[in-house]
Amino acid sequence: MPVYSLIIINKAGGLVYQREFQPGLLKLSTNDYLVLAGTFHGIHAITRSITPKIPNITLPSNPSSTPTPSSATHASSVSTTTVLSPSSTSASTPQSSTPTPTTNRPASSSHLSASTSSYPNPSLPVTGLETLETEKFRLTCFQTLTGTKFLLFTDPAMPNIDGVMKTVYELYADYVMKNPFYQMEMPVRCEGFDRGLGGFLRGRA
Amino acid sequence: MTVYSFYIFDRHAECIYKRRWLPRPASITGKSSRPISDNPTVANGLTSVPGPSTRSQEDDAKLIFGTVFSLRNMVRKLGGEDDNFITYRTSQYKLHYYETPTNIKFVMLTDTKSPNMRVALQQIYINLYVEYVVKNPLSPVEHPGGVGVNNELFEQSLEQFVTKVLA
Repeated sequence: MPVYSLIIINKAGGLVYQREFQPGLLKLSTNDYLVLAGTFHGIHAITRSITPKIPNITLPSNPSSTPTPSSATHASSVSTTTVLSPSSTSASTPQSSTPTPTTNRPASSSHLSASTSSYPNPSLPVTGLETLETEKFRLTCFQTLTGTKFLLFTDPAMPNIDGVMKTVYELYADYVMKNPFYQMEMPVRCEGFDRGLGGFLRGRA
Repeated sequence: MTVYSFYIFDRHAECIYKRRWLPRPASITGKSSRPISDNPTVANGLTSVPGPSTRSQEDDAKLIFGTVFSLRNMVRKLGGEDDNFITYRTSQYKLHYYETPTNIKFVMLTDTKSPNMRVALQQIYINLYVEYVVKNPLSPVEHPGGVGVNNELFEQSLEQFVTKVLA
């Protein structure tokens, strides 16, 4: 179950990292990858804005209560659970309407209104595209709290992408964010990150 | 499973049919909440006035077309010409996509728990669109502004398909 490639997009839509791990997708030129990153950044914002609204049920529970954790490790654990948890449930069999969120729960149930519209899952923050499926690959997008997007291209049948994504994010936090020579929002050129990713993802062929 | 909306785009990137369904009220409220302003029962989206939001339904259709068009091209660039974009999911909804060989695009927005709807969209194309729109002798070849698609038979059977078969 291979991971084809990884793309990291900064909060402005610029490509900061691109690497292929297994052959399977077509090769693009560097310029095409830059275009792809920018295009995806735009699409991601649009997919969030076209979220259907359900009229007259509950007030939208504002994701204003997004956690503001103090440490980086805490941030990674919280964000991966809140943002990535629904993919595991919805990818499997359809189940009854028991939402799985861990946070924001009490805020949503207390508001009832008759005049405004709400989102389908008021207990979850509104996000853009999270997974995209095609006949040949699956794209999983994880957006951090700071707006950086991790795009993982995998085999459509690969299990536990959330776990892989979490490890990639931890490697990023360890080797890129803690690198004193790394300039924010600039392309990632960190040997430790490359080595860590290679060791982790190539072993999963 | 809940279907939120359904769109057909022709090969000229024009939205030739759109239809929105009001989802059933959430179980926590228990009351049947149906707004009077929106006209969900009979009319298709083409004749309805823009909703209360600042963005009209026309704009929504354009945004959706732009999204699926860009994603389709992105997928083809990465997966090869024979790869097809099937679906994407956000935390709030799921969008399903099916494109016919004649470049007619069928798009459906559902809730996130819905299974793969590719077959359902294919069924809509084969059993409803081809039967009631393409085979209609009075229907034009192209459908600018939805002419020919918004016939009673197609709309009724689509309504039935979504509410009875997919529910």
